[in-house]
Amino acid sequence: MTRITCDHVRAAVLDPATVPGDWIRRPDAVAHIQQCPACRDWLEAFAAGEQAWAAEPADRFVAQVIARTAGVEAVVRDLPLLADMDPGPGFAERVLMATSSKAATEGWRTRVAGAWWAIVRRPRFAWEAAYVATVCWVLVFGNPVGAIDWSATNIRAVARERLGPPVNDLRADLESWRVRLAPGPAAQAGEAAGPQVEPAPPVVRVWEAATSWLRGLTASVVNAIALAWERVTSWSEQPAGGLPAPPGEPPADPARSPQ
Amino acid sequence: MAWEAFVHQFQGRVFALAYSYAGDREDARDLAQEIFVRLYEARGQWPSGDEFLPWLFRVARNRSVDYLRRRSVRRPASIADDAEIAGIPDPAPGAEAQAIASDRRSLLHAALRGLSAINREIVVLRDVHGLPIQQVASILGVPLGTVKSRASRARVELAARVLALSRGRGEA
Repeated sequence: MTRITCDHVRAAVLDPATVPGDWIRRPDAVAHIQQCPACRDWLEAFAAGEQAWAAEPADRFVAQVIARTAGVEAVVRDLPLLADMDPGPGFAERVLMATSSKAATEGWRTRVAGAWWAIVRRPRFAWEAAYVATVCWVLVFGNPVGAIDWSATNIRAVARERLGPPVNDLRADLESWRVRLAPGPAAQAGEAAGPQVEPAPPVVRVWEAATSWLRGLTASVVNAIALAWERVTSWSEQPAGGLPAPPGEPPADPARSPQ
Repeated sequence: MAWEAFVHQFQGRVFALAYSYAGDREDARDLAQEIFVRLYEARGQWPSGDEFLPWLFRVARNRSVDYLRRRSVRRPASIADDAEIAGIPDPAPGAEAQAIASDRRSLLHAALRGLSAINREIVVLRDVHGLPIQQVASILGVPLGTVKSRASRARVELAARVLALSRGRGEA
């Protein structure tokens, strides 16, 4: 039998799993605790506030140490019972519902993107896009070739008449926006100091580029139609031997049909 | 792992941890749900392998502390509601064994609530959920030595409380 030391007692109290369950009940361990003031002091400190122990008689103190250490062992053994508890019926469903609604609020971008790509990937999307673009074109620019004399000059005049004002309006809007977006007095003072050109804001630049591109596209389309029409008329007039209209002749009223 | 399967697998552990903080079944259900929502939000950051469980406990612990702070009340040491604890099913087949286990759980919960917050956390993380002491120190953000000394003291304190409660309930 090995001699009981303070370290043995402390180890038994600190980690009861390392010694047999009845180790602390051994007569030599009990005798050591009774006779060792260091162990008693240590156990008192270890008891963390339960100073009443120290005032009790030694045999009762030892009995309590025994009960306490045995209790520690039992408690440590039983504590894993608390690691898993049933939260009750419907808990998992409640959590799943909460997280699915969370996903619903979080993932709207994903859903919108998914819906968009589902639309785009359909085979007939090209036809639909072309149709929508045509409708938009007509709605935005009107119908410049309806109810007029189908001559190249008229088409050009109508195009100028119909497309001129919107383009002018766009220019006027653009100018007003430039004025609004112009820098404040401080910047103007800086401008007055020298010929410094402020770069236009990105929105204005994008808008200018878009309108310029749209103007160019419109002019190209109108010119192409006019050229085609001129060729068709010259081709159709050649066999009849007709002469082109004299250059001094005033153009017909573009807004009216010749009827 | 699918989210639904994860919820079913871990609901017991997360609820048990939430219960150790909230001290009340309804609050613990709310808290456990919040923990799951947090885990769901962070599902892109889940660590893999051995790091997952400590990370889960860290998230659950942080959420629990926030929850208690919001509630503005740290649960005082109160005796657990026996009927409430008795409602927890027990894997033991016999009714007598179930009653004994329920009683034992009720006793342990009541004793745990008597501990200081830090000691209770140490006991819950180390002895209830079996985390290594280094991970307990990491989760709680305290030095390893502090956790070691407090863990031993908390065990003894818990045992004393269990003993006192047992005597108070007329047990041997």
